[in-house]
Amino acid sequence: MTALLPHDAALRADPLAQALLTLAKELWSLRDRQIVLETVLTEKGIDVATAVERYQPRGAIKARLDTERQQFLDSLVATLSRA
Amino acid sequence: MEYQLVQHGRAALEFIAELGSRAARLRPRIQSEMQVRGLNEQTLADDLDARLTQVDEAMRDSPAFAAMSRISEWLSLQHGEVARAAFEAQREEFLPRIHALQNGPTTLEANAAVPSPDYFRDVWIHRTTGGWDGHEYQGFIHGELVHREYVAKNYPGDIFAQRRAVLATLPRRDYRQIMEFGTSSGHYTMQLAREFPAAHITGCDLSIRMLEQAQRLGNEQGSAWRLLQRPAENTGLPNTSFDLVTSYIVLHEIPAQITRAQMREAFRLLRPGGDLLFCDVTRYSALDKLGVFWAEYQAINGGEPFWREAASLDLACAAHEAGFVDVRSEGLDGKSYPWLLYGRRPGLAS
Repeated sequence: MTALLPHDAALRADPLAQALLTLAKELWSLRDRQIVLETVLTEKGIDVATAVERYQPRGAIKARLDTERQQFLDSLVATLSRA
Repeated sequence: MEYQLVQHGRAALEFIAELGSRAARLRPRIQSEMQVRGLNEQTLADDLDARLTQVDEAMRDSPAFAAMSRISEWLSLQHGEVARAAFEAQREEFLPRIHALQNGPTTLEANAAVPSPDYFRDVWIHRTTGGWDGHEYQGFIHGELVHREYVAKNYPGDIFAQRRAVLATLPRRDYRQIMEFGTSSGHYTMQLAREFPAAHITGCDLSIRMLEQAQRLGNEQGSAWRLLQRPAENTGLPNTSFDLVTSYIVLHEIPAQITRAQMREAFRLLRPGGDLLFCDVTRYSALDKLGVFWAEYQAINGGEPFWREAASLDLACAAHEAGFVDVRSEGLDGKSYPWLLYGRRPGLAS
């Protein structure tokens, strides 16, 4: 049926657009988490915004960030390379 | 079922649901552009294939149409993946409740040897990876995460209230034995049980994963449904054993010849005076040319190979051919969706 809509099919096959939307989903999930996190901490009397700005990851937290970043990038590459 | 998603799954599902509804706002702009490009009821081709090509060519440089295509494609491919990821993130938390609800008054007769017709075997329904049985907990993933968190937020109106409204059109309240074709994850079954609390409900489907979820819903509310893994067009159940045979938004997922076979099976299963109620997507005969184009676009996007033949089938004629009388084929409350087919097996209800 897609042969009847060749221009539409080409747009649907655009890997960059698909990757962008996957990225946008992850970006939004992160923004959501950050807003929730800062709200929860503020409700508990902790002003975390300044501490986060100055924080330098080391040790376990750095390893966790490395792993999650790698998984995130693998997801991005998989979308970009989808046949 | 009660569940609470953790942050990433919740935020990701909210993102896809919102993206779908925001992208839908492109449609008026696209339709205006179509008018500007000379596409209207007078100029659109009568032949449907030619019409699709005509619109595709005319809209090839439309940024709004391009955005709609790109976003629709991503949502179509990703909604199932996002829901599965949300499930996997909480698998260990969800499983005890899921497994516990497998026990209760609702029975499920699995049949691993059931012949898998090509319309089910060869189609990944809604472009879900692996199809309806592509994940061991696909019933929960679709029935709860996809249906409630995505589908319900992207279809016009309250899709659960629509089910109740459809059942309110039936002429009787005294059904004792109800047969549901295409039970899937049990959302319509739930409404049947609420509308007809004294009736015994039997449901069938080819997907064992979906039936497992329906079983959980039945058990959760203490209902004694009988669920069977069988094709609706060949249930193997006794003649004249039901007062009502019904299905909800199933027909566009199956070939027209199977719909005809299901009508014949429904007629066989019904007692004299029994009622048939099938609900499905809008008939193409009830849409203008542009409306049919958008239905085809949705079918392409959703990976729906049988939509066109299903929406083009004259349901009233098919019901008459199966033997039904008092047949009505019409939209609910004068609208075009959902579409209802009602028929009655001749004879007096006992």
